[in-house]
Amino acid sequence: MGKVSLKALALAVVTVAFGAGSASAVDIKVGFLPGVVDPFYQVMETGVNAAAEDLGIEVVTQIPPTWGVEAQTPILDAMIARGDLDYIIIAPVEKDQMVAPLQAAVDAGIKIITVDTFLGDGDYVDGPITFPIAYIGSDNVEGGRIAARGLAEAIGGEGKVYINSTNPNVSSVEGREQGFAEVMAEEYPDITVLGPDYNLDDQARAAQQTSAMLETNPDLAGVFGTNVFSAGGAGNAVVNAGLGGEVQVVAYDATQEAIELMGDGVVSLVLAQKPFDMGYMAVQFAAADARGVTSLPRRVETGFAIIDTENVDDPEYSRFIYQVQ
Amino acid sequence: MTDVPAVTPGLPPAKRFVLLASRLWAWVFLGALVLFFVVAVPAVSGATFLSVRNFQNILVAIVPVLLLGLGQTFVIISAGIDLSVGWVMSLCSVVSAHAIRASFNAGAPLPLAVTLGLVATIATGATVGFVNGTIISRLKVPAFIVTLGSSFIVRGTGLLLSENTTVIGLPSGMRDYGNESMFYWVRGEGGGFYFLQRPDVSGDLLRSMDRILAWPVVMTAVVVLLCMFLLHKTQFGRHTYAIGGSLQAALRTGIPVERHITKVYMLSSITAGIAGFLSTLRFNAGSAVIGDPLLLSSIAAVIIGGVSLFGGAGSVIGTVIGSLIIAVLTTGLVMLNVQAFWQFIVVGIVVIVAVLIDQSRDLIVGRVGRSER
Amino acid sequence: MSDPILSIRNLVKRFGGLVAVDHVDLDVHPGEVVALLGDNGAGKSTLIKCVSGVHLADEGEILFEGKPRRFPRPIDARREGIETIYQDLALANNLDVPANIFLGRELKHRYLGGLVKTLDEKSMRREAAAGLEALDIQFPTLTQPIESLSGGQRQAVAIARAIYWNARLMIMDEPTNNLGVPEQHKVLELIGKLRGQGVPVILITHTLPDVFAIADRIVVMHRGRKVTEKRTTETDAAELVQYMVGALDDTRAA
Repeated sequence: MGKVSLKALALAVVTVAFGAGSASAVDIKVGFLPGVVDPFYQVMETGVNAAAEDLGIEVVTQIPPTWGVEAQTPILDAMIARGDLDYIIIAPVEKDQMVAPLQAAVDAGIKIITVDTFLGDGDYVDGPITFPIAYIGSDNVEGGRIAARGLAEAIGGEGKVYINSTNPNVSSVEGREQGFAEVMAEEYPDITVLGPDYNLDDQARAAQQTSAMLETNPDLAGVFGTNVFSAGGAGNAVVNAGLGGEVQVVAYDATQEAIELMGDGVVSLVLAQKPFDMGYMAVQFAAADARGVTSLPRRVETGFAIIDTENVDDPEYSRFIYQVQ
Repeated sequence: MTDVPAVTPGLPPAKRFVLLASRLWAWVFLGALVLFFVVAVPAVSGATFLSVRNFQNILVAIVPVLLLGLGQTFVIISAGIDLSVGWVMSLCSVVSAHAIRASFNAGAPLPLAVTLGLVATIATGATVGFVNGTIISRLKVPAFIVTLGSSFIVRGTGLLLSENTTVIGLPSGMRDYGNESMFYWVRGEGGGFYFLQRPDVSGDLLRSMDRILAWPVVMTAVVVLLCMFLLHKTQFGRHTYAIGGSLQAALRTGIPVERHITKVYMLSSITAGIAGFLSTLRFNAGSAVIGDPLLLSSIAAVIIGGVSLFGGAGSVIGTVIGSLIIAVLTTGLVMLNVQAFWQFIVVGIVVIVAVLIDQSRDLIVGRVGRSER
Repeated sequence: MSDPILSIRNLVKRFGGLVAVDHVDLDVHPGEVVALLGDNGAGKSTLIKCVSGVHLADEGEILFEGKPRRFPRPIDARREGIETIYQDLALANNLDVPANIFLGRELKHRYLGGLVKTLDEKSMRREAAAGLEALDIQFPTLTQPIESLSGGQRQAVAIARAIYWNARLMIMDEPTNNLGVPEQHKVLELIGKLRGQGVPVILITHTLPDVFAIADRIVVMHRGRKVTEKRTTETDAAELVQYMVGALDDTRAA
């Protein structure tokens, strides 16, 4: 903190001395390290870059080619080793395993903001992990709840629903499963939740698991795919069982692929997060912190939009579809 | 007769039984597995395991692992290894998606666009395999290293060519190629058996409709038959066994070993590429990551099927059985509501057992040779 | 005596400064078994590798069936009917007898004007059986991988293969090595049978009993030079050993 404040002070001095530049500009360098190359994070990157330009901040972005601790950690270590970064905006790919590598960053004097995913339980005030400045992302539990309500409406409030997910112990998808199951248990007593099955990011496996599930439960009414892959695979199995449109499939994340799947009748509802907002806000937070603002909230939820076939062409909703150039 | 006398009139019955068991155990294991699920699934969930639909689901599920395993069967029989297959599948998924989209948007009719996608797939696979095989056979770099290196290159290329890992915007009618079937069977009132034509039914009839032999399954079956023919009926197959069994013998008898090994790796990349092409058809999108998790499963299928890692032994049908075992496990465990991760544990055990059986067979045969001296 | 089928004239092969084969002359006549004796490093393997196309000689010439020949590659020598059976036999142990006999030269059915070719297993099996028959070799079954055969049987398969492909000169490198005594006898019998069919054999060995059992003529090499050449009936083991260790040397005496 002290170091950055000094820098901010120094900048202020410089600014005064030369009588130039915006009073709010801060001289910080921010690293951005999302989870994996995918449309969601790429939209987030456009948010980061937009904020960086607006605020005159230099950003260094590195995107891991694959999802996983073993892919993200070396890049993080390299970012720490550069020695010139003041903040790192990161989407930790694992809520427990990434704690130690990020603690090393903190020890090196770098401040951490987590986006999309969090460390520990995401409560940076009273939880086990408190070193990050803030978590900015969707409340994935809330997202799960919203998906549950959307699916419950679509199936008329009763029947069996099935969760197909990617990997266990990832804060984002775990929250979605949790919120989903919670709402179904509390608000829809006539709905039974099956799963989750983990497809390990293999779309064909998601399809196979869903096919098997349809075999044991021919009366299945809905499927919740906790990401596009899961939903795409699950929806494929549903359509091939001749149940397209009868078994409702909810996809988390409004990628263009998901929207296309909806157009093809494979997916019935798409839950959009707001990655652009996450990225933009994270940079704003870094700048504010550098300027010495101490009243920043430690947790910010950016909200959701539910897109269905009815509203998909409405600009109010379609703007949340992840558009990447 | 002043002959070299007749030896090995036959192995002792016990050893003969062990040899027979070593060839057939994968079939027996598959049978036992199916039997187990046939009994257990109804007991646990009340569903039927051996339904027409479930059988078709399993056939669809084995497609990618089996296609990766088919080429790998040739490679391992020739005493090599191809670590790049999963990523070649991903790359070809992306390339075929581009080819289909571009040609369709340029006005080609859908069947032609899909055909061009297949052509692009085979060309891409052949190119990767040619480079792999040439470096392995002519520059004498171990296959493990070459294909490890090329898998990174192929993976990077696939990601670069994709648009944020996926290629979308493909003609929507393409989905039919990857998901519709050769036969349809609708049971009950107003139902029937349909060939090539999907019946226009809805509601309960649609629910009861079985799709028999989805197009990806048909295409895979064609590739399986071609591979069986190639391995067991042609000089190409004979030379593949010879190179894996004794490289020296192959060289001394004038087999064009270098050219042959190059062809084997081309075959491996092409079958992997076809897996990518079929996944593009099935999911209506090219994915630069679709094959990433499949390498180890495909090698496991090959080993379970009785292909010796030391080269020189194995069969195509064995690889089919190996793939079936893996797919039956996944489907069966989900139907038992058992965490699917158990699949890995069972597959792991089966792989090790397969290798042990392979080795003990060598031991038995070796003993025969020694004892007759 | 008939004309020699193989004539080696003044052959020299150098590896850097080392003269592995030093001006060697050697004739082999039809229906004759010539034993090539010598200690390790005497140059006998290098000499025959020049004949079988593994090495190219630096000086001198090789006449095969009266004509000067150069064999840049082993396949060139084999095309002329010079078959070499190395100790490893060049057999694929995972394949059966017919597959080995026809390895690299498989018989094929042709379909669609030669576009599709399949293995003609039946003909290969028939031909293999006939080839073995001609050498009085009998196996109970031909369709088992030869890994289940004994060493002597494998040797027989290798010989049968060479004969089938019309060997006009057979070079055998230590054929009785690693075999049990009964099998050694059988291999020697087979060599005798080759001689009976008029196929000359060059036998590389350092097993003296083999030499006296089968060879017609004996050539001893020492340090790259041919130190003597004798008819088997004109010498004995003790004398040969003297030549092999360099204690006797006809070229020096001359």
